[in-house]
Amino acid sequence: MRKQSLTKTMNPGVLFLINYAVPIIFIILIAFAIPLSGLSGIYFIRELMIRLSRNSFLILALLIPVMAGMGMNFSIVLGAMAGEIGLIFITDWQIIGISGMLLAILISTPIAVLLGYFAGIVLNRAKGREMVTGFMLAFFMNGIYQLFVLFGMGNIIPISNSSILLPRGYGIRNTINLLGIRQVLDNLIPLKIGDILTPVATFLVIATLCVFITWFRKTKLGQDMRTVGQDNEVARVSGINVERIRVLSIVISTVLACYGQILFLQNIGTMNTYQSHEQVGVFAIAALLVGGASVAKANIPNVFIGVILFHTMFVVAPRAGKALMGQAQLGEYFRVFVSYGVIAFSLALYAWRKRVEKENERKKIMNYKKSILVK
Amino acid sequence: MRKRIIIRTALVAALILIGIFLYVIGKEHKVVIDNRDISVGDIIYNASTTYVVWVDNQEIGVIKKGERKIAKVAGVSHKIVVEEIKDNVLTGERYEKRFKLKTNESAMVNIPALINNANEWIDKTK
Amino acid sequence: MMKKIENIIENFGLPRIIIFLFLVLLFILTPFVGVRFDTSINDVIVRFGMNGILVLSLVPMVKSGCGLNFGLQLGIIAGLLGAVISIEMETIGFAGFFTAVGIAIFFAVVFGFLYSLLLNKVKGDEMVVATYVGFSSVSFMCIMWLMLPFKSPNMIWAYGGSGLRTTINIKGYWFHVLTDFLKIKIGNYIFFPTGTILFFALLTFLVWAFFKTKIGAAMIVVGSNTNYAKSCGINVEKMRSISVILSTVIAAIGIIVYQEGFGFIQLYTAPLFMAFPAVAALLLGGATVGKASIKNVIIGVFLFQSILTMTPSVVSNIIKSDMSETIRIILSNGMIVYALTRITRVRT
Repeated sequence: MRKQSLTKTMNPGVLFLINYAVPIIFIILIAFAIPLSGLSGIYFIRELMIRLSRNSFLILALLIPVMAGMGMNFSIVLGAMAGEIGLIFITDWQIIGISGMLLAILISTPIAVLLGYFAGIVLNRAKGREMVTGFMLAFFMNGIYQLFVLFGMGNIIPISNSSILLPRGYGIRNTINLLGIRQVLDNLIPLKIGDILTPVATFLVIATLCVFITWFRKTKLGQDMRTVGQDNEVARVSGINVERIRVLSIVISTVLACYGQILFLQNIGTMNTYQSHEQVGVFAIAALLVGGASVAKANIPNVFIGVILFHTMFVVAPRAGKALMGQAQLGEYFRVFVSYGVIAFSLALYAWRKRVEKENERKKIMNYKKSILVK
Repeated sequence: MRKRIIIRTALVAALILIGIFLYVIGKEHKVVIDNRDISVGDIIYNASTTYVVWVDNQEIGVIKKGERKIAKVAGVSHKIVVEEIKDNVLTGERYEKRFKLKTNESAMVNIPALINNANEWIDKTK
Repeated sequence: MMKKIENIIENFGLPRIIIFLFLVLLFILTPFVGVRFDTSINDVIVRFGMNGILVLSLVPMVKSGCGLNFGLQLGIIAGLLGAVISIEMETIGFAGFFTAVGIAIFFAVVFGFLYSLLLNKVKGDEMVVATYVGFSSVSFMCIMWLMLPFKSPNMIWAYGGSGLRTTINIKGYWFHVLTDFLKIKIGNYIFFPTGTILFFALLTFLVWAFFKTKIGAAMIVVGSNTNYAKSCGINVEKMRSISVILSTVIAAIGIIVYQEGFGFIQLYTAPLFMAFPAVAALLLGGATVGKASIKNVIIGVFLFQSILTMTPSVVSNIIKSDMSETIRIILSNGMIVYALTRITRVRT
C-alpha cells in the first residue's frame, strides 16, 4: 500500500519522471553507449535518416488501435505478411519500378483487409487480453503464411518465375531479390544534401500519413474510436457500435502496416521471405514505447522520438558491446534484450499504474460513501 | 442501396483497370543486344566497330565487335540509340530506332542490321 | 440425443474434438503409410515423460489466478543454470542429475520470488507482462552465457573462445539416467522409460497432495475469488507468490528432465519460445485461462505430443514433404489463440 503514495504525489517533477520513465532511461543508456561505440556524427545522421524513412510508416500504423483502446497491436505483423505476399507476386511477374511497388500495394491491400478483419474479430472475442491474443495470433498467422508461401506457392498457386522457387519445385526461396523495386520510392525525387542522398518521396509519404492521422482524429469516426478507447460502456450507451469500431481500427492498422512493410522492403532491396516480418511487431512496439507512448496513449511525436532513440541504440549497441567486452555478439544480444526489456518494463509500469489508479478510484468512492453514512 | 452497389462495382472495376495498367507499364522485358555478323536472307551484315548503346535514355554500355549485352526495360514503347565509337572517341554516327513490346515479349536486337536499316534488326519472342 | 452430443461438443470445445479425431485418424493410417505403429507409440510415451513436468508446472499459477505462465522461461533458465553448473562440477549419473535439480531449485526459488513480486504488482495483466519478462530474461541470459566464467572444456567454445556453446552434449554425464532406470524392454523396438514416467508420477502426486493441504486449498480460493479469499483472512499476495515460486521450481525440474531425455542442453535463444508448446498442451488438455487440473496436464501432453510425433511421419509419407514445423506452429499457437478467445468470468 505504500506504493500508492507514488502516484498520489502531485509533484509534477516526479509525475513526469514516471510517465516518461522509458525514454529517459533510454537516453541515459544511449548517452553512455555512443562515445563507447566510436561512431562519427555524419554516419549517425545518415543512418538515422535512412532508418526514419524506413521504419516510421510501420510505427505510425500502431497509433490507430491505441486510439481505440486495443493496446499495442501485433496485427501489424499480419499486415506485413500481406505486403510480402504482394511483393512475391510482383517479383514473380517481373514488374519493376514504381509501377511494381504500386501494383504490390494494389494486390496486397485486399489481403491486408481480410487479415485485419480476421484479427479484429478474434481480438473482439478476447476483450481485456488483446495484447497477448494479438501476440499469439501473429505467431499463428505465421504458420498459415508458411503454409501458403512454403507449400502453396508453386503448387496450387501458379508461380512462373522459377528463380524465386526452391529447388524442389514449389515453395518460395528464403531470400528474394527485390532489385526491381529497390529504393524506387526513395529515389523518386532525388535530392542530395552534401554527400547524402535523401529519400524525399518517402518522407513526403510519411508526412502525408501524419496529416491523415491527425485529420482522422477529428472526424466522426476518429472521435467515435477515441470514445471507445476511453470507455466501452459509455461508447455503447451513446449508440456507437463498439465491436465494429474496434475491428475497423485493426483493419486500418493492418493495411497501413502492409504499406509500411512494402516501404521498408523497398528500401532494403531484399526480402527475407520467412524472417522479415517476425521482428516487425516487437521492434515497432518497442520503438513506440521508447518514444514515450503507453498502452493507452500514443501520438505522432512518440513515433519519431521513438525511432530516433531506438534505432540509435540499435546502431550503437554492437559497437559498444565490442568496445566494452570485446565481443560484438554481445551487442547483438543486448539489442534484443533491450527491445524485449523495454516492452516488459513499459507494460509492467503501465499495468501497475492502471491498478493503482483503480485502487485510488475505489478508495475515493468508498470514502465518499463513508462520508455520506457519517452524515 | 442500388446506388451503393453500382458505385462499389465501379470502384472495383477501376482498381482492376489500374492494376492491369500498372502491370503492363511495369512489366520487365529483356532486350538482348548483339554486335555480331548476321545473315538476313542472302545478305550478310558485318559487325565492324564498337558502339555505345542507350535504351530508353539509360546507358547500357559499350559493345565491342562480337559482344553482347542485355538491357532490362519496363513497359511498352522503347527507344534504342546506337552511337559509333572508334578509338575511344564518338565518331558522330548515331542511329535511333523505336520499338514496342507486348506484355510477354522479349527482344533480340542486332546492331549491324539496325545500322543498315534492315527490317530484321529486331527479333521479338514470347 | 442431439442435445447430449451438442453439450459434449460445447464442453470439450470443437477444436479439441477435431484434434482428437484427427489423432485417431493418424493412428489408423500408420500401418498404411509405412510408419511403424509400435515405435510411434513408444515415441509418444518417451516424449510424454520428457515434456510432462514442464506442463505440470503451469498448474499452480493457473489455480491461484495468475493466468497462463508465459514467463515459463524463468524456471527454464533456473534449470539450465543447474544443469550447466552440475556439468562444470563434473558430476555424472544420478548424482549429476540430482545435483542439477538441487542447484536448479535454488535458483528457481530466487527467480520465482522476484518474479512473484513483479506479478503481484500487475494483477490482471500478468500474462502479457510475463511474456516479455520471459523474453527479456532469455535475452539477458544470452549475454550471461557468454560472460559467465565457466571452464569445463565440454561446454565452452573450442579454440580458446570464451563463453558457453549453444548446445552442450550431456552424453557421459547424466544422459538418460531416468529413462534407462528400470527400463522395460518389449520386443526389439520398444522400451518403456519407467524411470521418467515414475518421476513424473511422483511429481504429479506431490502437486496433487499439495493442493489438498491447507495452503493449496487457500491458493485455489484465491484463484476463484479474490475478495472472498480476503474476507476469509487469506493473504492473497502471499498465496500468489507461493504459487509462482512453485511453478518456477517445477519448471526448473521439468527442463532438466527434458534435457535428460533429449541429450543436450540448449542455451541462448532456444528457450525463447518454450513456453508456448507447454501452454498449448495444457489448453489442449481442457484447461482454460482460469482453470487447470492435473487431468488437463495428462490429457494435454498426451494429445499434443502425439500430434507432434505422428503428424510429421504420417504426413511426410503421404505428401512427401516436411510440413511438421509449420503444422506445429499452426497447432500450438492456434490452440492458445482459441483458448484466449473463450470468455471467462471476470476476476476482481
